[in-house]
Amino acid sequence: MIGKIPLADVLVVSAALFAIGLAGALLRRTAIVIFLSIELMMNAANLALLGYGAALGTVDGQIAVFFVIAIAAAEASVGLAIFVALFRHTETIDVNKINLLKW
Amino acid sequence: MERIVFDAAATIALVFAALMVLSRNPVKSVLALVVSFFFLAVIYVLLFAPFIAAIQVIVYAGAILVLFLFVLMLLNIRHEGSGKDPRPIQRIVGGGAILVFTIVLVALLSKHGTPPGLPPASEAAAPHIGDVARAVYSDFLLPFEALSVLLLAALVGAFVLVSKEHRP
Amino acid sequence: MNLIDWVILVARVALPAMILPAIVIPLVWYERRVAAFIQDRPGPNRVGPFGLLQSPADILKLFMKEEVIPSQSDRFLFYLAPGLAVFSALATFAVIPYGGTLTIAGKDVPLLGADISIGVLYVFAMTSLSVYALVLAGWSSNNKFSLMGGIRSSAQLISYELAMTTAAGGVILSAGSFKLADIIAAQQGTWLGFIPRWNVFPQILGFLIFFIATFAETNRLPFDLPEAEAELVAGYHTEYSAMHFGSFFLAEYVNVIVSSALTATLYLGGWSLPGFHPHGVLGVLLSLLVFAAKTGFLVSVFVWVRWTLPRFRYDQLMALGWKVFLPLALVNLFWAAALEMWKAAR
Repeated sequence: MIGKIPLADVLVVSAALFAIGLAGALLRRTAIVIFLSIELMMNAANLALLGYGAALGTVDGQIAVFFVIAIAAAEASVGLAIFVALFRHTETIDVNKINLLKW
Repeated sequence: MERIVFDAAATIALVFAALMVLSRNPVKSVLALVVSFFFLAVIYVLLFAPFIAAIQVIVYAGAILVLFLFVLMLLNIRHEGSGKDPRPIQRIVGGGAILVFTIVLVALLSKHGTPPGLPPASEAAAPHIGDVARAVYSDFLLPFEALSVLLLAALVGAFVLVSKEHRP
Repeated sequence: MNLIDWVILVARVALPAMILPAIVIPLVWYERRVAAFIQDRPGPNRVGPFGLLQSPADILKLFMKEEVIPSQSDRFLFYLAPGLAVFSALATFAVIPYGGTLTIAGKDVPLLGADISIGVLYVFAMTSLSVYALVLAGWSSNNKFSLMGGIRSSAQLISYELAMTTAAGGVILSAGSFKLADIIAAQQGTWLGFIPRWNVFPQILGFLIFFIATFAETNRLPFDLPEAEAELVAGYHTEYSAMHFGSFFLAEYVNVIVSSALTATLYLGGWSLPGFHPHGVLGVLLSLLVFAAKTGFLVSVFVWVRWTLPRFRYDQLMALGWKVFLPLALVNLFWAAALEMWKAAR
């Protein structure tokens, strides 16, 4: 129990967010939406980390999330740079159409 | 009271996350995710992590997603290109697999996720923002410094990827 | 929580949210009169005594004008952007203490919206959200100039946010806490008996960087290229008419007031004066006046600078933010840390 909130509820919300993110990453064809779904999955993991950190009363949950957020920032910038470079060559955002190793 | 806020914030976060996945317009997707992250930050406050909530809004919702929005606007991507789905079987099998995965995960977590015999956590005993800072600078100093190198690498990498090559 | 607690809570939060837009009305009049004085002309002096009714007349005009919405614009985002701008401007004021502690019905009521443990970080979080209002306004107008204005504006905002937060880091370091009430408490007392212990004196560089960065954050001259009236038509709010534009206008002035209030709290000691401990209702009223005076002084500086300095070109603006202010803010952080170590070693 975290205050008045049972830990199981936090974990269920985290699992649901992860599932939505997974669905977006696997079933959508737009590169940007796939990327956003990956960010959503990372946030679901953050929520689970914070839930456990709060339930156990340690600071490790917050530290882990701190690092995850910073690393996500680095990854998002590089990912978007790749996306921009790709888009300049292929003029499309549909990942199914980007199917050549070299053009 | 916290229960009501948690339920409301969780529902809104989930609804907007679903909107993000379902929307045809990438700009609307990004904005739906911003709202979802904002309400996730509200949940973080309820989990006694106000510092992480502020960092979530400042960095994730306020910088990373702004970067997404910039890229979308600079490349003028308004709507997903329409086209027939070439492999509908992929969607059906993928959707089914995700459904099974979700059901199993939710069932497992709600039954066995909580470690037994845990005392209820209170705000007074929760780690303070000062404790987080002390831990980052003492126990986790090496990852912290490595993180700064990582950010530098990402900065340089992004720049190199996007700059146009000068062919002689 | 009984009824009294609820009433006090609502009053603490809702009163500033209602009073801030009300203060904007005489502020606009003040700006126009000062502008006229600097430019050696009379300014509004026909509508009411000394032109005081000019602002209410303008508000009435804005309410009654027809709203023109571009046909190809994204309707939902078009309506959302001004609301988001006003929301983030007003929400920022929730953690700024505007007076001492009042005692009502046996309870201590500090005069601020919410005394949360991450005070200053909350302000920066709300400032980050205001970026979206500008970007969405530029994008949803479906207009090249608005888009350019919106993107320039948001790039400027996130660049100067860095310098602003790093400069504020020096203040947080010296106070040892994120809470704004603690930062004011750390600025009590005097040096040599007459110089107040305000943060502006040991950290003058930080004060200058923070204050100038707030000019950039509120899109005021000399950093107002995003809404450059002569260059980009009106930047991100070109397509907005009547009360949509009024909302952006209101948001900008509320941002000016809130930025001045924040600078006054972080660097000029907020509502406190050396040797002044507010007791009772009269003391609290006096602390409110002190806060209003400091904020009013900084707002006057905002107005003064707007009509005195020319505008920065966009590349000059970005170069200044990243290559001058950010390194100087880091230098200020080191300086603040060195001061703390010297204080601890004594």
